[in-house]
Amino acid sequence: MTAAEAPMLEVRDLSVAYGVGRDAVRPIDGLSFTLRQREIVGLIGEAGSGKSTAALALMGLARPPGHIVGGQVAFEGRDLLAMDDEALRRIRGRDIGIIVQNPRGALNPMLKVGRQIGNAYRAHNKANRGDGKRRAIDMLRMVGINDPERRVDAYAHELSGGMAQRALIAMALSSMPKLLIADEPTSGLDVTIQAQFLDQMWQTVQETGSAMFLVAQELGILANYCDRVLVLQNGHIAEDAPVRQFFAAPQQPYSREILRLEQDTAEGGIASGGTVKAGAEPLVRITGLVKNFPIKGSSKVVQAVHDVDLAIAPGETLGLVGESGSGKTTVGRCLVHLTEPTGGEIRFGDRNLSGLPATALRQMRAKLQIVFQDPYDSLNPRWTIRRILREPLDLHTELSRGEKDSRSRELLEMVGVDPGLIDRRPQGLGAGMLQRLNIARAIATNPSFIVLDEPTSVLSPRAVVGLVDLLRRLQRNLGLSYLFISHDLTTVRYLCHRVAVMYLGQIVEKGSVDQVFNDPKHPYSKALLAAHLFPDPGQRRVDRQDRRELEGEIPSPIDLPKGCYLASRCPSAKPECQARPQELTILPDGRSIRCWRVATGDLADQEGLQHAV
Amino acid sequence: MSAADLMGPTDEATTLPRRKKRDWLFGIGLTIVVVVVILAAIGPWIAPYDPTAVTPRIVEPPPSLGEIPGLLWGSITGTLEHPPHWMGTDASGFDIFSRVISAPRIDLSIALAANGLSLLVGVLLGLLAGYYRNVATGLLMRVSDVLQSFPVFISAMILVALAGRSTVNIIIALALLYTPIYIRLTRAEVMSQKVRGYVEAARAMGNPELTVALRHVLPNSLAPALIQASVTIGFAILLTAGLSFVGAGVRPPTPEWGLMISTGANQIILGEWWPSVFPGIAISLTVFGFAVLGNALERRYDGG
Repeated sequence: MTAAEAPMLEVRDLSVAYGVGRDAVRPIDGLSFTLRQREIVGLIGEAGSGKSTAALALMGLARPPGHIVGGQVAFEGRDLLAMDDEALRRIRGRDIGIIVQNPRGALNPMLKVGRQIGNAYRAHNKANRGDGKRRAIDMLRMVGINDPERRVDAYAHELSGGMAQRALIAMALSSMPKLLIADEPTSGLDVTIQAQFLDQMWQTVQETGSAMFLVAQELGILANYCDRVLVLQNGHIAEDAPVRQFFAAPQQPYSREILRLEQDTAEGGIASGGTVKAGAEPLVRITGLVKNFPIKGSSKVVQAVHDVDLAIAPGETLGLVGESGSGKTTVGRCLVHLTEPTGGEIRFGDRNLSGLPATALRQMRAKLQIVFQDPYDSLNPRWTIRRILREPLDLHTELSRGEKDSRSRELLEMVGVDPGLIDRRPQGLGAGMLQRLNIARAIATNPSFIVLDEPTSVLSPRAVVGLVDLLRRLQRNLGLSYLFISHDLTTVRYLCHRVAVMYLGQIVEKGSVDQVFNDPKHPYSKALLAAHLFPDPGQRRVDRQDRRELEGEIPSPIDLPKGCYLASRCPSAKPECQARPQELTILPDGRSIRCWRVATGDLADQEGLQHAV
Repeated sequence: MSAADLMGPTDEATTLPRRKKRDWLFGIGLTIVVVVVILAAIGPWIAPYDPTAVTPRIVEPPPSLGEIPGLLWGSITGTLEHPPHWMGTDASGFDIFSRVISAPRIDLSIALAANGLSLLVGVLLGLLAGYYRNVATGLLMRVSDVLQSFPVFISAMILVALAGRSTVNIIIALALLYTPIYIRLTRAEVMSQKVRGYVEAARAMGNPELTVALRHVLPNSLAPALIQASVTIGFAILLTAGLSFVGAGVRPPTPEWGLMISTGANQIILGEWWPSVFPGIAISLTVFGFAVLGNALERRYDGG
């Protein structure tokens, strides 16, 4: 990127207001920045800071009853806000494309996606229906949809979330806009697809000299693809820095806060909540866990979890990672017996949970807790926080009413929530705070083990930092053990001692965080780590030469292959892999791996991707 | 935690102007309902005449506009020879005004009792059917399908005809017919609530299954049934009146709107409109009031 590139978009004092007169609020108030050719600019800010409103306003749009009240948006020197509707319409879609969140909501459910893409193209180009359809097929192929000739006739509901998102991207790109505005375009996509899409966008911008304005919540996306980072605060840009400078020396308190963990880790600070005694007897031990879900009206089953062994020591955090559908959540749910395992043994301390009668299991739950992914959904919406926190105490303790109240206040202080909120209901509280309440409820009865099922996946970067801090502190102070289930490898690295990688219900690699992250051995772990966007602009994905991905689709968990489950997608697969079932083998350095080629030394290391963390 | 974290996304600003308009309609509905409820409580006592006693006069309504202030003054000070017949009398000499304001007691109590009974039974069965999905609850749903497939009014007529024309029988018949609605509504809501995270959390905490169902799922599944109830009350009043109108309801000379319309209907061809029209207006207003109130509650529940 050179500063000599011509400015494409110049925004000056843009303001959007809701309401009129003295009651008006201005989510966007004096927004100013410049976007040049061949530049990808990332916008970041807290939840509710107006990022989406800003993205829309760049096209001269505002969601009613909001309206743009002032400023200039100069696109190639012409002020969009001063244009009449007709001129603006010609620019929107042709010169400026937009990708919004919630792809399924943005597609018309009554029209085939091909028609929609074709219509968008025909609105700005001289073309008939046939041309539109051909263009749609080309675009769908370009965004990586298999079999575009067939998909072009699909309706929105027939597409998966990821495919709908890609169809929307195809629509936005159909007229090859010079400027693309994308509002969290990859939220809800799997990491591998996310990386594919962003790679493609990056390449398009470099090759065609267009530009991209990217609203992002993930530091990894900013670090890997953006040239500049803008921080939106109080409706205007509080920080505008080149990406390396932003990550090396953030200026704003907000930026410093969200980057704190990353900088700690880079400087070799403690990566977890304390040290684990070597050779300690495991607190939780899972042996040969199997979970099959029957399919209605069929004798077949979905093999969600297949022969999983795990051991977690007291005070230890084990990370469980993998793509969606890998069975990691099912392992967590089986562990706390919210799902009854099909086979295998789960021991907690000296007791076997599987054989336990219902009442004994209920008593065990005081020591064995779980925190769920969606904080908005995990608290009874009709109950006050006081009542929510009192429930576990009612169930498992003999405390008096007064003692329960003071324990509840103590819990709120422990998780960093103002005890003055005790009589509020969960509604209206932010995701970060709700997740703290979930944790407060989970630790109410002094458990020794907590399953954390993707607890950070819906949180803003700042709330993630707060939650990681909290989990570490609780581990240090209470000696808790965690099973931390997540697809976000960045957070796993902050929090875990050891990590297990799952693929199609099996553990393919298991070892210390250092081993797995710095030197992954299994081809799947390598691919997963290569696709993950770590928030480190020194290791940008786009700068890497080798960006090999797994190819093909995940096999169906109903008809699993006889041999290695990864064989059909593995870049290092040999014919034997198709036939030979894989065993989890312990390597000399203490890690376990499910790949016969690595275990026997058949797969040499030069084929692997180096990934320094 | 900052203030922004605390507030989360809200769009208070977008809903304010519309809510005001709705509140205006909601106010009318509420006023009508309150008046009807008050009349049900004290109607017979404030009525100027005994609603089931014959007066010696047969009077046409209404008094001309000019007379009204004088009559009002007279009835307040008690200087009149006899209280005015605001809505005239019917052919038997019953004071229509007294009967119109005494009728809510019978109409509303039948509607309320039937509704309450079906709400209670329907919600509990709905909870069962939504929570445990097995052969027994499947059968329950098919039975309620069958009940719902007959026109409510015809079924009510037949049931009352078979069981006999008593107030209790009318209540039971209406309750039976309205129960399937509540089963269905509650079941659907239970099915969507029981997979929510807070229910899982309650289970993970060590609550017995029955506690999870009654303390967590049930209270969060009541809203659709309660909203439906506020609408159904209006229709239950209409149905009660309808049954009386066709002679399958309460017995004359009980003051009841449907019965009054029915007995007055014969006089309409003679040009004597008032014995039927006044109770008719009363029913319309009442049903309208409950319907508006129900709609307002529904919108409020949906989040405006």
